[in-house]
Amino acid sequence: MTLIGVPGRSGVIAVARRLAGHLARGLVMILVVTTISFLIIRNIPGDPMAAKYEKLVEQGMSPEAAQQAVNVLYGFMPTGSMWEQYLDYMKGLARFDLGQSLNVPGTGVGTVLMSAAKWTLIPVLAGTLLSFLVGIILGVYAAIKRQSKVGDLLAISGSLLHGLPQYVLALLLAAIFTTLIPILPAGGTADIMFEPGFNAGYIGSLIQHATLPVVTYALSSYGGWILAMKSSVVTVLGDDFILAAELRGMKRSIIFRYIARNAILPLFTILALSLGMLFGGAIFIERIFNYPGLGLMLIDSITGRDYALMGGAFLLITVAIIIANIAADLLYTVIDPRVRSGGEAA
Amino acid sequence: MTATTIMPEARSASATLRRNFWRGVWRVMKRKPSRMAGVVIMAGFAFMGVFGPMFYPEHLPRDTSALYAPPSWAHPFGTDFEGTDVLALVITGSRYVLLTGLVTAVITVVLGAGIGLFAGFRRGRWDSVLMRITDMKLTIPGLPLMLVLSTIWKFTSAIEMGLVLGLLGWGGVARAVRSQTLSLRERGFVEAARGLGLSTPHIIGRELLPSMAPYIAMNMLIAVTGAVYAQVGLFFLGVLPFEANNWGVMLNLAVFGGGALTTTAALPYLLAPLLAILLLTLGIVLVVDAMDEIFNPRLREE
Repeated sequence: MTLIGVPGRSGVIAVARRLAGHLARGLVMILVVTTISFLIIRNIPGDPMAAKYEKLVEQGMSPEAAQQAVNVLYGFMPTGSMWEQYLDYMKGLARFDLGQSLNVPGTGVGTVLMSAAKWTLIPVLAGTLLSFLVGIILGVYAAIKRQSKVGDLLAISGSLLHGLPQYVLALLLAAIFTTLIPILPAGGTADIMFEPGFNAGYIGSLIQHATLPVVTYALSSYGGWILAMKSSVVTVLGDDFILAAELRGMKRSIIFRYIARNAILPLFTILALSLGMLFGGAIFIERIFNYPGLGLMLIDSITGRDYALMGGAFLLITVAIIIANIAADLLYTVIDPRVRSGGEAA
Repeated sequence: MTATTIMPEARSASATLRRNFWRGVWRVMKRKPSRMAGVVIMAGFAFMGVFGPMFYPEHLPRDTSALYAPPSWAHPFGTDFEGTDVLALVITGSRYVLLTGLVTAVITVVLGAGIGLFAGFRRGRWDSVLMRITDMKLTIPGLPLMLVLSTIWKFTSAIEMGLVLGLLGWGGVARAVRSQTLSLRERGFVEAARGLGLSTPHIIGRELLPSMAPYIAMNMLIAVTGAVYAQVGLFFLGVLPFEANNWGVMLNLAVFGGGALTTTAALPYLLAPLLAILLLTLGIVLVVDAMDEIFNPRLREE
């Protein structure tokens, strides 16, 4: 027997066992993803690695030095058997060495990724939290008023926005606010006339440029939140304890708090999952608004044949999702006592 | 003797059932005119994809005196950067888009339903192995994977594109079909069939599949929208070479070639394919909504 929110000893053991299982599974997933990434980079037609190696030898470099140079670029030696190359690549990854960027010479892939990550993380985080808050509040309202026109309209708005692909929304918003009524900038992170730093002009310009990306992201994820919250609230409304509370003549405001608190629990798991999309969730938005985040970097690295950078961006995006999946499942274990007790209560 | 007397009765009973079914379909359609509109829209797109390109010559005429012409009677959505009629581009491009959607939907549903049924019916080791693989597929994000994949395989033809999207997209259907199978196989009628010693193919084909068919059909339609979004998005991002004209290529050229996000001239060129996508989505959503009510008696508001 454990109190809600305070896991007992058996609960802790169950959580630990689940954690170990998840970590093992996560490691296997990461292994699979890195292998996919290696195989793709190795099998790119035209063999960019061999081409680079031969070019360096032609330029008068000794074969060993050329091998070293290519190894630094891609993270593995261009010669030797497939297995040796694979082990090389994995060893490099274990040291967080992702190779060198081709198009930003002399810079490690990791450094390039980190400088792009902030342009993805901050807008997507802002968009996620904004849509989460608005979606939750309107979701409760839509569930309570589900027999009325307002509730219907809210649910329809949710389904519509949820169904639309991100680029359709982004293009429509861009067409309206940058072409038809040009009140917002079409792309970039800030106007170049402002000195980057902590001054009002630059920050204002940053916010102005981030508005459309953030709003697009928020609108495209809002639909999912309102629909999930509405169905969660409707489920809770049918629970016995709500009926009991009503029969006991409790105040509406207290019942409302009961409902909201129970209905929001499953939403936190979805929030954890959606945080996994922080790195890779805005590819279309970044391309359309020319916002220099990880998504735009992934596309640029593909069109610019910077394959080491491409592999790094792909790994970062996928590993974030794998970690978020594990976190979401653990969170679910912690907040739902039925899962936590590992089935012994059932 | 008995066989001959029973047969016609059985046939007439099933005929009545079928007639009742179609009457039910008609009733559901009539109650909300929007559903009728959905069917009309979908039929219109099917017609456009099959016969549309036949109305145009293989190389669309260019009017070099009217680049980015504004909408007019001759060009309802204006012209593109070469003076080609945008409406003609949308119509001729629809075949590629819809064919890809169809291929994807078929692969998604066949693989998804097959794997889901097999895993759910067999249970045990096969089930856990298949579901582990499904989980893995669902975890790896599709768009980045396709972008990276595009470097080693230029899957530009409609069939190849459909193949890639289908092979990457069956995870969700497999999961859902498996859980339905798990719950159905405990039901009385399946247990009865097993008790009668009927073969596994018979139980799966005649007992399980029919009760899941509507659900699978709806998933197929939803897979079409997913495939349309994904392929248009891939071409829009411009990582695949443009071989044939389609909506994604149009969007890419309008935004990154024509500057539709900075000048109004190319705006109709951008909006026409977007409108086509929205209309197709609307049609499919309305039809799925109607199907939901036809096959799910609990939703019927009678």
